Amino acid sequence: MLLDLASNLLLLAGGFFFCAGTVGLLRFPDVYTRLHALAKADNLGLGCLLAGLALKADSLVQAIKLLAIWPLVLVASAVVGYAIAHRADQLGITPWQRDDR
Amino acid sequence: MIRGKSDVKIMIGCLLRRTVGFALVWWVATEGNFTAWPLAVIAVAVTVAVSLRLLPPGSTPGLSLSGMAGFVGYFFRQSIRGGFQVSRLALQRQLQLRPAILELPVTLPTGLPRLLLIATLGLMPGTLGVRLEDDLLYLHVLDTGLPVVEETAQLSGHIARMLGVNR
Repeated sequence: MLLDLASNLLLLAGGFFFCAGTVGLLRFPDVYTRLHALAKADNLGLGCLLAGLALKADSLVQAIKLLAIWPLVLVASAVVGYAIAHRADQLGITPWQRDDR
Repeated sequence: MIRGKSDVKIMIGCLLRRTVGFALVWWVATEGNFTAWPLAVIAVAVTVAVSLRLLPPGSTPGLSLSGMAGFVGYFFRQSIRGGFQVSRLALQRQLQLRPAILELPVTLPTGLPRLLLIATLGLMPGTLGVRLEDDLLYLHVLDTGLPVVEETAQLSGHIARMLGVNR
């Protein structure tokens, strides 16, 4: 009962962070700020989602398998985030700046 | 590459640890089902071989378990903070971004420690590694008001302790 509640809350939180990350992707002004939104919000969203699913898992090994996905995706998104930012920088894309300064 | 007796010992220990580790990964990935065990043997053997090539034994001599626990704990806390922060920034009615590129000196040794730092920074609150040139790290920050310099120093400290290197 309590486990179900915790699991559902985590799943909802995961969905929320994925939505927030997507809103950031659409609203933020340039490639660098968008990478921030995607990497960080999706990282937390996926963590919540997998933790929520692991609580619903049928067996321990299934729960471990779900939780093991998190670090694997983290490694990929951390490295890809840097790779895209690095390439954008090499191409000479200047970061967006606030005008009213 | 292998010269003395102690090198052989390190090699055997390393082989054992990695074989057990990758076998565990197989066990988890197949959810404890070993019907495809011939495939598992091949997969584990190939993975161990590749890992020996990419990360030769003894390349992280000072790896510390307590340091790793410290890094993982810090990473976990900061990931949560970073996720909340960027979500708030994305959902605000008016965008409150004040991005900038910062240049920070890096003192971690080249190779794995620096790579780990610059990749991890993309998941930490408000920071994104952009370029690493000589001993300067170019960091894109979401808001110049955030304490990114202190937090980058903290992260460097955790990486240095985990890998047993100087900051």
